[in-house]
Amino acid sequence: MTKLYFLLILALSLNLRAQDDLLAELEATSLPATEYTFATWKGTKVVNLQTNEMPGEGVLQYTILHRFGAFNQDFVYNFFGLDNAQVRLTLDYSPKEWLNVGLGHTGFLKTYDAFAKYRLTRQSKGEKNMPVSITGFSSVYFANQRFNDGLDRNPATRLSFVNELIIARKFTPNISAQIVPTLVHFNLVETPNDNNTIFALGLAARYKITKMHAITVEYVPQFNGNSYPVPGENGAAPSSEKFSNALSIGMDIETGGHVFQLFVTNAQGVAEPYVFAQNTGSWLEGDLHFGFNISRVFTIKKKK
Amino acid sequence: MKKTLFISLGLVFSLAVSAQKLSTRSAEVSFFSATPVENIDATNQQVSSILNLDNGQFAFLVPIKAFQFEKALMQEHFNENYMESGQFPTAKFTGEIANYKKISLDKDGRYTLVLAGTMTMHGVSKEIKQEVRITVKNGKLSLKSDFNILASDYGVEIPATKADNISNSLAVKVSATYD
Repeated sequence: MTKLYFLLILALSLNLRAQDDLLAELEATSLPATEYTFATWKGTKVVNLQTNEMPGEGVLQYTILHRFGAFNQDFVYNFFGLDNAQVRLTLDYSPKEWLNVGLGHTGFLKTYDAFAKYRLTRQSKGEKNMPVSITGFSSVYFANQRFNDGLDRNPATRLSFVNELIIARKFTPNISAQIVPTLVHFNLVETPNDNNTIFALGLAARYKITKMHAITVEYVPQFNGNSYPVPGENGAAPSSEKFSNALSIGMDIETGGHVFQLFVTNAQGVAEPYVFAQNTGSWLEGDLHFGFNISRVFTIKKKK
Repeated sequence: MKKTLFISLGLVFSLAVSAQKLSTRSAEVSFFSATPVENIDATNQQVSSILNLDNGQFAFLVPIKAFQFEKALMQEHFNENYMESGQFPTAKFTGEIANYKKISLDKDGRYTLVLAGTMTMHGVSKEIKQEVRITVKNGKLSLKSDFNILASDYGVEIPATKADNISNSLAVKVSATYD
């Protein structure tokens, strides 16, 4: 008898619970969805490396990149390096959600370039699980600087190429990192002993200190880097020195449609081939450059 | 005695079964922020809702990442900087419609009633009491409600430098047609 009463009460309470738990019911019946990671980085570049981010479909982006003169080159006289700044400008557009294409110009060697960035995978969880975002970046550079030696040159010798495979992961809302196998190819190098194709492995990480600010670090060690000649001082014989690996530390500041990136780097060439494989700046010798990347986006094609 | 108990037990269970629950997975929630500098408009069509006509209780579940903006960057900032949707992926709204007994699915009609409930988003819960317009047509019930909320009530801070672009007061529109 008591058992039956108990059942009755149970049934009643079940009924009441059913009313209260509409929300639980909704949560239980909601469709399994794939949740894609977004905003792994604030900008499309860390400092010199690309990130897996690209502007949304129908968005035009221009960036202005500056690398000031070095700390050890009459720094104050040159207005903190500003007077010796190297500049790069780019304009890119995303015709598709997964594709971004652009053009750039760099002051160093008067270089023109064209590039494409393409998304291969996106980090996601839920129905579809993907631990990393993988994005490809390919670009071709034409060094247009005049030669004053009167020799006839094939224009193809002015070309260089960079390919980056960006493997990025957002570990927490604040911490992201990426490894970037990078291949740099020069059609023409200084001596027959130099490598035309240089392999490097980019490493980068960021830590967000506030919602709008992040600290970034980037290092791009080369596996088979070339050397450059150094004239001997005081009559000594000329020697050669290895090109440096690019190391940069910076800060991202986001303000609506802009991302400002302020940093210190040992690479002044701005364009990828010169930064990754022809960098003569050394941290230890004080060849450090203030620099900034500024991006601005414009929505050309609205989503709806 | 035993018989009565069985009957009442059966009655209770059958009540539970006959509960008149309406549901939808394609309810819509939109919000609008107006400032002299720019207007921001976002719509979410992946809202799910249940309405129980036996007791007037309702629930809405809003996946934050499903809000669609005109500009991709706005959507990213909304999720990353304001709603922190990685941490707070859904907004919830549960409560009761007063005088729900007036609603009849058997004939076409319009009702303006009051709903009261709790809205939870960005980890903050707040009581809301609002007018709701309910329409019954051909046995289908649809619901609409417009109200304003303050972002600051839900711990969503708009920095001073963005105050010209983003309004703290947001006009929210909810509409649902139940299956």
